[in-house]
Amino acid sequence: MKRYVIVWLGLLAIVAMEVAVTLARPPAKLLLAGLLFFALIEAGLGLLYFMHLKYERRSFMWSVILAVVIAVVLMDHFWLDAFRLLHQRLSAP
Amino acid sequence: MAELAVVSEPSPFGVTSRKLGIWMFIVADAATFAAMLFAYGYVRVANPDWTRPFALWPTIANGILMTVVLLTSSLTVIAAVLAAQAGRKTSALRWLGATMLLGALFAALHLREWIAMIGDGWRPFRNPLGGTPLVGATFFSVTGLHLLHVIVGVIVIGVIALGYRRERFDPGHLEAIGLYWHFVDLVWMFVFPLVYLMNLR
Repeated sequence: MKRYVIVWLGLLAIVAMEVAVTLARPPAKLLLAGLLFFALIEAGLGLLYFMHLKYERRSFMWSVILAVVIAVVLMDHFWLDAFRLLHQRLSAP
Repeated sequence: MAELAVVSEPSPFGVTSRKLGIWMFIVADAATFAAMLFAYGYVRVANPDWTRPFALWPTIANGILMTVVLLTSSLTVIAAVLAAQAGRKTSALRWLGATMLLGALFAALHLREWIAMIGDGWRPFRNPLGGTPLVGATFFSVTGLHLLHVIVGVIVIGVIALGYRRERFDPGHLEAIGLYWHFVDLVWMFVFPLVYLMNLR
């Protein structure tokens, strides 16, 4: 149980960092990159420790992770609409 | 009479079919949430008149509290699974109860926030601040889908707890619902920064 409490504290610390970074008012693109970075670390910790992927067979772990990553990459980079919006070059407020 | 030979292949992943089933659901649901968050991201980038509606107090502070509550509920569901696997039934049921309480608290905090926003004139297709109405549309749809997962999770944990108490369910069932609950928590780790923090006024 001690290991899980440590991960839980780590996740709380990351949330605190996310809020601190937001309050520093960086430009929107930088803030988005930073928040996604923190969120991915949180997701990794959650998957590996809370959801026990770290303790499953490697074949299972990579099958699950790759399935999600491929779906996400297809949605984000290979849909035609994503290219259309990319070329609009509008800046987020 | 010839005896029937039962041949069963070993699981290629070394997990039970129940666990594999919940993981397949999680993969599919992750793609659903990813699609919604991408849609939100594209809509946000494509609208120069996007409004940032949230103040640090009360909305972001409420979001931080909700995050802490949900993260803590992940810890309590782990305690329930560990207790069940160790054969400590009463302890497992208590931890499941704590998880349900925290889940219900999260839902209550979320609904309080929704009611306050609706009171301020926010609707899925109306922005009281004058910008694009898509702010409300994306906020209510993304957080609404997550809230639905939390409410369903609380109900299913209750059903699993009852079945476990009556010995109809085993620790494997608790592990399966625990995986679902962690996934709901994990999704919030993306919803909170992208939908709340990115929209701080």
